[in-house]
Amino acid sequence: MSAGQTGRGSSVFPVSVLLLVLLPLLLMPLAAVFVFALRGGPLAFWDAIRAPEAQFALRFSLLIAFGTTAINAVLGTLAAYVLSKYRFWGDRTLGVVVNLPVAIPTVVVGTSLLLLWGPIGLLGKLLDPLGLQPMFRPAGVLLAHLFVTFPYMLGAVKPVLDELETTYEEAAYTIGATRWTTFRLVLLPALRGGLITGALLTFAHSLGEFGATVMVSGNMRLKTQTAPLYIFAQFEAGDIAHANAIAAVLALLSFTIFFFLFRFASRGKGRSAE
Amino acid sequence: MSIVLDGLTKRFGGRAVVDRVGLEIADGELFVLLGSSGSGKSTVLRMIAGLTSSDGGTIQLMGRDVTNLPPQQRGVGFVFQNYSIFQHMTAAKNIAFGLRIRGVRRGERRRKSEELLDLVGLGGLGDRYAHELSGGQQQRVALARALAYEPHVLLLDEPFGALDVKIRAQLRRSFREIQRRLGVTTILVTHDQEEAFEIADRIGVVERGRLIEVGNAEDLYYRPDSLFTATFVGAGTVFVGRCREGRAEFGPLALPLPPDVPHEEGAPVRVLIRPEQVLLTEEAPTEGLALGQGRVVESSFVGALRRVRLRVPRLPRTRQISPPAPYGEEGLLLEAVLPADRAVPEEAWVSLGGWRILEQPLPTLLVADALNGVAPPMESARPFAAALHGSIVVLGIVQGAEPPEALRDKLKAEFENEVAEIRVRAGLPAEQLRNEQAENFYDLAVLGALGRQAVRSVSLRRFLRESSTPLLFGAPREKFEKILICTAVGEPGKSDVRVGGWLAGRMGASVTLLHVSRDASPAPPWIRSHLDQGVATLSGFDVTAEARVRTAPTALEGILLEARQGDYDLVVIGSHGPRSRSVTARDDVTIQILDSANRPVLVVPEDSG
Repeated sequence: MSAGQTGRGSSVFPVSVLLLVLLPLLLMPLAAVFVFALRGGPLAFWDAIRAPEAQFALRFSLLIAFGTTAINAVLGTLAAYVLSKYRFWGDRTLGVVVNLPVAIPTVVVGTSLLLLWGPIGLLGKLLDPLGLQPMFRPAGVLLAHLFVTFPYMLGAVKPVLDELETTYEEAAYTIGATRWTTFRLVLLPALRGGLITGALLTFAHSLGEFGATVMVSGNMRLKTQTAPLYIFAQFEAGDIAHANAIAAVLALLSFTIFFFLFRFASRGKGRSAE
Repeated sequence: MSIVLDGLTKRFGGRAVVDRVGLEIADGELFVLLGSSGSGKSTVLRMIAGLTSSDGGTIQLMGRDVTNLPPQQRGVGFVFQNYSIFQHMTAAKNIAFGLRIRGVRRGERRRKSEELLDLVGLGGLGDRYAHELSGGQQQRVALARALAYEPHVLLLDEPFGALDVKIRAQLRRSFREIQRRLGVTTILVTHDQEEAFEIADRIGVVERGRLIEVGNAEDLYYRPDSLFTATFVGAGTVFVGRCREGRAEFGPLALPLPPDVPHEEGAPVRVLIRPEQVLLTEEAPTEGLALGQGRVVESSFVGALRRVRLRVPRLPRTRQISPPAPYGEEGLLLEAVLPADRAVPEEAWVSLGGWRILEQPLPTLLVADALNGVAPPMESARPFAAALHGSIVVLGIVQGAEPPEALRDKLKAEFENEVAEIRVRAGLPAEQLRNEQAENFYDLAVLGALGRQAVRSVSLRRFLRESSTPLLFGAPREKFEKILICTAVGEPGKSDVRVGGWLAGRMGASVTLLHVSRDASPAPPWIRSHLDQGVATLSGFDVTAEARVRTAPTALEGILLEARQGDYDLVVIGSHGPRSRSVTARDDVTIQILDSANRPVLVVPEDSG
């Protein structure tokens, strides 16, 4: 009892220091987005969102985020499965390489994509005469997002797969299940938690991606402009009200995703502690 | 035959973890593979299921060769120690999994899983998930799941290992009943001897990848062949004596050698005495085989019985393997049991109510060099190991700060393929060599050329005196055709003649029996008769032997001269044992011969023959 009381008494000081530091760093900027977005009143906010370019940017961002999540869910799970279950020459190196995208500045990613796929790029040079040019098109944006968010799915699924005892699969094999059936009926359900976490993380990162997107999209409004690019463009043009409105929508979306992530994570913890 | 294994082998990194296992299991039989952890028993089971590939041999299930089939096509049911119940499915769905992937219809699946739930005693719990079931219940579900698709054979890998003792006993009984009722051929793997005894029709004992003995519980307990089974299964005492004139000699006791355990003359004989075969009486027994008067040194109450350990006076030429005698133990230690309600006497007469002579062991050679960083003298050991058909145990000794693991890895890298075992001890070389001999029985210890330098003269004397194993010193030699046995050192020994003769017989060498006399007059008759007895003993080993008497100012000079002139390949001398009369190393003939003979020298302790 007394230990609890001393603990509570002495916590006032460190907690207030932390709050004081975090206030200008994290909490106030978060609040600022909403304060500024609603400064012109709800009508102005509504108008800003209804603007055709803003509508396109939001829809395009969501579409790209869904596409990226769907594709990386499959690719990331495949990578996690292969890296976790098979031992082959260079498996460690490959494990590091597939995680590199988190460490590379996104602008650099954009540049390298341009140098590969762009009109004068290594592969782009060959594709250009065929009329195929992914850069400065939605496909380019998708490529950039796939690259940048690749490690999130892998990072969420592989640890779960690593920790899962192989005896579950072996039990299924002896019972007569093929590798694929085992994956579908035994592994995939066991991976559900990792898959959802990975998908939410991928989605959130894709929604907010800026650096690589700005390089490969050409930032063409109504064609390749994602929501973050739209915000930046409006800001540069001095149209702060429009920028803020979309920023608020993006922030709200992110909050929602993180709300689910946190709920999911804490529930997962509760389950495993049982 | 439901299951036939033939020469089944698995290697990991060049080492055979499963070594040519052959086995036939009849329809409906419950066979238990019993072994300690790391013995390879689980690998055998996994190879039968197809979860681990084999490197040699064949597996037949129900007459069908499945050696190269994937697990899906073998038709086995497998139960794991960790249950491995699919977490996201209910118990009923887990059980029906095998039927589901075989395309059995939903209604039929439900009927079957309910039937199985009843069979394993979980009726009504089909809707529960794994986290809502106890460990024992989960294992019951796992069993039902493995039985649902009616596999040809059932394989269980330590299925009760993760359960509480009470639950374990309960589950064991109901498992045995289910297995009997269904008549499904089963192999169960366990390290628990009690479990094996309780449920098995037959038991196979596995050690270091080899199936060393198969039999029912009573056979393995009362009539084991191997030392491993004798000590791994149940408690008991194991003594080592020698085979002499067709009988097993343990001091004054001469036990008949049964025809099913042949021994060659002079070979070590091991006898197993189970605790309940040790008879304790207040009065000296008038009949039966008395070991002497024993003193109770330990007693523990274990419920129905009381286990006691007795110390009886040492018997000549008898050593103890089990229970391991602590260093410095003067007597022999015997395991015995008393009814729990009988008072524990302080002293009692000990006699044998029964015993089992174990099969003649393959000789084991201890190869060690006591110097840091020096390779063990394998060159010296190889010809002996080959001639004796023996196995080699390498002992590495680390002194000071060097980590034992480093030395173990080094020895492993170099010798793993030709030796049976690698052991590493830390401490003073002489002390560790002595401890190793006290804890394990060796027929011969090969110490090599450097062994002499490693042990300083003062401690060498003590070491030689306390050693219970014949010790071979000296540089390697290509051939061993001529052996010189010196009877002139100290009292005329018998052990040196026996051990030397046994070695000579195995190596096909001829023996010269030497006596050194100090004056030129003819040897007195007692010397002659002693030499004649020696030659007779040697001819018992089928060894060509001659006796020679040499005149020299000292025994040492006589022996060294004879060794040099005859160019013997091996000089055998007796060690004085604890009764040595020499005061310093300088006048110890044994040490002087070691230092100056310039050829391999075998020092035989008095009691080792």
